[in-house]
Amino acid sequence: MAQAREARTRRMAALAWLLAVFAPLAIAQQDRADLSRSLPSSDLSGDTVAATRRDLIAAPGFALARVGDNPAAPGATPVGERMCIGCHQLEAEHFTHTFHALGLHAANKADASIPVCETCHGAGSAHAREPTTKGLIIGYTKGSQTPIEVQARTCLTCHEGGPRDHWRGSVHQRNDLSCSDCHNPMAKFSAEGSLARGSINDTCAQCHRDVRMQFDRRSHMPLPEGQMSCVDCHNPHGSLTAPLLKTNTVNETCYQCHAEKRGPFLFEHAPVRTNCLNCHTPHGSNQHALLVAPIPFLCQQCHSHQRHPNDLQTPASLATGPHPDERLMGRACITCHANIHGSNAPSGPRFHE
Amino acid sequence: MNLRSPCLARIAALLLAMPAVAFALPPGFLDLRDTGPVHGNADAVRDRLEACSACHGRDGVSPVPIFPSIGGMPVEYLYWQLVEFQREADPESPMTALVMTLGDQDLRDYATWYAAQKPVAPAAVDAVADERIARIFREGDVAAGIPPCSGCHGADAGGHPLATSEPRYRLYPPLRGQHAAYLAQRLKDFRDGKNLVTSNDRIMHGVAEHISDEDAQALADWLQAMAR
Amino acid sequence: MRDRRLHRTLRLLPLATAVAAAMPVQADSGVGVDTWRANRLHPDAGVSISAPDERGTSWLAPGQRRAPTGNLYQCPLEPAPPRERGDWIGHGVLEVGAIATSGDDHDAQWNRYVDWDSGLILGLLDYTLERPDDGSYANVRASRISDDDEYYQAVFGRAGSFKVQAFLRDVPNVLSDDAKSIWNGVGGNELTLVAPLVPAGSTRAEVAAAHAAAPTRTLSVTREKQGIGFSMYLTPRWTLYANATNEDRKGARAFGGTFFFNFPFPDNGGIFETLRPIDDSTVNLNGGLRFAGPVWRMDFGYVGSFYRDAYTRFTYETPYALYPVVPGAVSAPLTIGQFATEPDNDYHNLKATFTRKLPLNGELSLTASGGRMRQDDDLIAPIECQGVFGIGLEGSLALGPQNPFLFDCADWNTPDALSRRSADMQIDTTLFDGRIVLQPSGDLTVRGGVRWNREDYRDTYLAFNPRTGQYGYVSENGAQGSVVPGEIGFWDPFGNASNVTRVRSLALDLETTEATFAADWKLGTHDTLGATYTFNRFEPTHRERREVDAHSLKLTWVNRALDWLTFRANYTYLTQDGDRYNHDPYEHTFSMSLPGFIALPGGVLAHTVDALRKYDVSSRDQNKLDLMATLAPRADMTLSASLRGEWNDYDAVLGRRGYDTLGFTLQWEWQPSPRTSTSVYYGYDRSSLGIANINDLENGDDPTLGGATYPLEGRWWVDDEQRNHNAGATFRHAFGRVRFDAGWNSLYSRGITSYRFASPVALAYFSDGALGIDRFPPMSWRVNSFDIGITFPLHERASLRLFDYYERASIRDWHYDGFDRVRVIDHRVYADGGPESYDANMVGLLLRVTL
Repeated sequence: MAQAREARTRRMAALAWLLAVFAPLAIAQQDRADLSRSLPSSDLSGDTVAATRRDLIAAPGFALARVGDNPAAPGATPVGERMCIGCHQLEAEHFTHTFHALGLHAANKADASIPVCETCHGAGSAHAREPTTKGLIIGYTKGSQTPIEVQARTCLTCHEGGPRDHWRGSVHQRNDLSCSDCHNPMAKFSAEGSLARGSINDTCAQCHRDVRMQFDRRSHMPLPEGQMSCVDCHNPHGSLTAPLLKTNTVNETCYQCHAEKRGPFLFEHAPVRTNCLNCHTPHGSNQHALLVAPIPFLCQQCHSHQRHPNDLQTPASLATGPHPDERLMGRACITCHANIHGSNAPSGPRFHE
Repeated sequence: MNLRSPCLARIAALLLAMPAVAFALPPGFLDLRDTGPVHGNADAVRDRLEACSACHGRDGVSPVPIFPSIGGMPVEYLYWQLVEFQREADPESPMTALVMTLGDQDLRDYATWYAAQKPVAPAAVDAVADERIARIFREGDVAAGIPPCSGCHGADAGGHPLATSEPRYRLYPPLRGQHAAYLAQRLKDFRDGKNLVTSNDRIMHGVAEHISDEDAQALADWLQAMAR
Repeated sequence: MRDRRLHRTLRLLPLATAVAAAMPVQADSGVGVDTWRANRLHPDAGVSISAPDERGTSWLAPGQRRAPTGNLYQCPLEPAPPRERGDWIGHGVLEVGAIATSGDDHDAQWNRYVDWDSGLILGLLDYTLERPDDGSYANVRASRISDDDEYYQAVFGRAGSFKVQAFLRDVPNVLSDDAKSIWNGVGGNELTLVAPLVPAGSTRAEVAAAHAAAPTRTLSVTREKQGIGFSMYLTPRWTLYANATNEDRKGARAFGGTFFFNFPFPDNGGIFETLRPIDDSTVNLNGGLRFAGPVWRMDFGYVGSFYRDAYTRFTYETPYALYPVVPGAVSAPLTIGQFATEPDNDYHNLKATFTRKLPLNGELSLTASGGRMRQDDDLIAPIECQGVFGIGLEGSLALGPQNPFLFDCADWNTPDALSRRSADMQIDTTLFDGRIVLQPSGDLTVRGGVRWNREDYRDTYLAFNPRTGQYGYVSENGAQGSVVPGEIGFWDPFGNASNVTRVRSLALDLETTEATFAADWKLGTHDTLGATYTFNRFEPTHRERREVDAHSLKLTWVNRALDWLTFRANYTYLTQDGDRYNHDPYEHTFSMSLPGFIALPGGVLAHTVDALRKYDVSSRDQNKLDLMATLAPRADMTLSASLRGEWNDYDAVLGRRGYDTLGFTLQWEWQPSPRTSTSVYYGYDRSSLGIANINDLENGDDPTLGGATYPLEGRWWVDDEQRNHNAGATFRHAFGRVRFDAGWNSLYSRGITSYRFASPVALAYFSDGALGIDRFPPMSWRVNSFDIGITFPLHERASLRLFDYYERASIRDWHYDGFDRVRVIDHRVYADGGPESYDANMVGLLLRVTL
């Protein structure tokens, strides 16, 4: 009962929240009378746009767009979007629904010298004259004969920095990947991210199918269920760590969702503090809780103390056997040593509390 | 929305025109993007050319400016044009009645016959010295957004540069020495979106979208004057 | 309980800040989680069931183009017909319908991260408004399967200018559907025994009866997360971003609890799989400033995370009484066991990166980062008891010198019994990273980098009771000392001067230094070669080694000589070694390190065998091979193949000795037309883990392998071999206007844990030596799932989708063998019956309307 009421309240809150998110939009809109008064009379093109109610330039990020530099066509001159669309109408139609189109068209509207197609593809005059000669236009597909370095450099003209700060030297860059191996901004293939496939996970799985397959195992994080993506932990554009993690260390990556494990605890379990991957495998495991090996053998890789930890158990210690033993059944070792990630109890040096 | 803004007009036109034209492919749509070579038997139609030769000549040289000279055109182009006439079934076109009774092999044979003819200029006309049109042909028109014709029709308007190696490029026809009246009419039809049956028609619809009547005529005249 | 207000305030925050329109930023690929929101119904937010554009990609060429590696792009989707709404253009989709589940639809594995509540659902709402005038946009996307499985997100902004995003997402995590509890109060932090059980006074039969009579319950934890964020261009070069999220977790899960062993002492001790509550919230903040200029780039970022737990501890009642191993003695009754829950903790991290372009197409990047993890939670008392605890040697429970092993609860059941009231633990982290790239010629690129990372523990805890002057702790809720005299866990220099017990926490500083040199060379137009040398020094404190060095060499080759093949090969060789391995660096945490400790004549029990090597600091050799090929056999087909192997050879006689994995995948994709696409994949991988250990024969102080304590006859070995076969296929086709899609996914995992031993001395039960078996039953997980769907167009803007999702899985985890019949075995009580095989189906009907 209380739960249902709580759920209803949360739903109301969610709706109110969504409305509130859109409220600024409505507020910023002004009513139509105000709007028409503040606009120039009828012509929304040309220089008068700059003098409208928007003080910032129309689209500052896209306002920096310049014609891309194609070393293979040094003498080419820009031809403008209309000429490109002349032949490439279907591509242009798909492109119109993308985020790049939204921004480039808005910037181009404010300042006609800002290129649209040619921002990414370079000046088009040479290609327009000889469309079948490869390389005269910057192409991002296989066989375009534009070097990968030129492709990446062109995208980075606008997208340098931030998450792509460490692209140069990253494992993907060194394996000769182009931005267009994962992204395709020419049409809306994915809900977010201008990806080449329908989702982040499907994009990574093009090459990393073996990792994606591990997520189907008995214990896994909710990536196949669409609740998280590869990019929650990894930055495919390069990072300061070898496995392309987004934080400084493995553990800090895990703590983003599993903050309860951060501690630091009164009594630590050394392999936990060093690296979560000492016991867990992040992508999927046939054991419970993403463990690398079945308990007790997982623990017995490191523990050979006298008395009970170092005995070899056999199936006879299972509940079906002649001598069921708590060190093997169910959660085995961690039935007693339950606070295995570390204990904050003064009586917890052995994680019993 | 003020349609005088070219970009905005473009976007608006694209977006708003879509439900009507673009979404569903119309019935009879011909996808010519991946066609193979066409073969036929010219001899089979050697004695059945009366209907064709009245307008196009037995040797493919058209006596009437509004009808195109078809001698020496790529066989694939001629074949698919005939198929297009069948699909269009335009009651206003004189071709409709003529092709409706023909079978697929007939179309191939007729196409083969005319492809084998020698391309001859229809009549001697003075070369047109029009530097602006020549530039539009070679480099396109940036302001109007017209791509250069030479890219697909050849620097000499003799057909696509890769026509010899790839059959689908033979569907971009030679234009040199063609009747100006025919060329101008086709350009305007493409621009106005008349009878867009094939995928190539869609290309030309975009290419010709911003051409003015005067430029269409001037371009057609210039092309006719190029020696075949 | 403190700071619950914090998370409640933050729930209101989005309402306030959305109007203020100037707050934290959205997670991106560089910082933060929450990069994707979807659910099992539409993991890709509905893209894969949307209609492809029949016209294809381009009028100029057939089919799709390929990415530079060779993978075919997909056919673009049919653009949504837009609707003008004043200045704005809107388009979107609304999908509502109903689902019904059948079969084993209560199974935990089937419901793992979903809550298929049969009934009406919001399949998908995805609506976008765009204003071409200035590039403004707004989007809302939502899906609701049930109360616990839903998400809503909204974003508005202006392209190239700013973006504000907010979301709400609930996801369940079902851990068990066949749990039985002998306690009341599951979900809270005080578990009390169900009637008629009596704490410390019930028999095994009574407990078994209560367990059998208990209703079967589902254990799950639901995560409810709310977030808001924003990013904006301050100037064309500076961007500002910030994000705030709050995640509440609520539920219960199987846990543990101990009142000493049962296996050596029949009808004694207590091992309980209790059900602990999960009731916490985590607030994550991140924000920063980024600069991207023609010569310089800068990135300043802050990340904060604040974990708050509703409870500081949780308690449970034990039904069983204990008895001492000494005849004639009696144990004081113990009724309550306790656990400290995870402490509230705070995390702050600041990071600054400066990158400057250099001549020779170079770049130099310097990063400095500092952080702190801190918790200062109140500490719970060493024991929860009333009266006395321990052993009354002559049968009486009267405190006094006649009962040296009996203790007064009042001396230990209060925080006054601690050396301090709160934990006051902190780790400070520091990171410096510098890297340089130079391209001396068009074909050659050289790189170098250094990295230094340090984690400093700031405090240690001394287990000292000022009330009694004793060191140590109460072991296992008092149970150990209630069964075995002298093993309560205390040390003092008087009567207990020889007791060995933990008295100090373990400070685990660590320092990592890394240096890298690399070069890439373009050989002709088709080949790229690369070589990387990395040196890594890991310096932990209070671990078996002070210094662990790893050298690795990685070779890379990318080849595109054939236009239909892209081939990538990476090979790494790594060798790790270190200083002298000290098998017992922990003496300083035990009572032996205290002045006044007196070793018994037999010496102190050896901590462990000297030949054991803990694998995170042991010496090893590693070979890694990674091959990937992408082929284009036809213009409309892609074939990919990959092979990955990793072979780890540990230089250890005991401990982990080897860990090898090898796997390959094959993927085939065919897109003959916009109306049809199909794909098939198969993958196989296997892993092999080899460990060795040794049983002790008799308690002693000799740590040597082959000595009196650890004789060679006690040696044993275990090999865990895992084999996984994965396969799957998808098929999509449009029959006229009707679209059909089908998918199949299959996984067969099988793990065999096998063992061998030098003699039955190695075994927990000597008699098992004659069993004649050398392996555990296979641990297997076999799952097949089928998705099938048909979409019928009803109208230009409406379509109906009928789909079915069938999944059949069989699972066997030998840990739970027999738990379907009995879970109360002497003094052991298990709640979770373990994972079960299932056969379940979901059918659904969705109406999809284009808005």
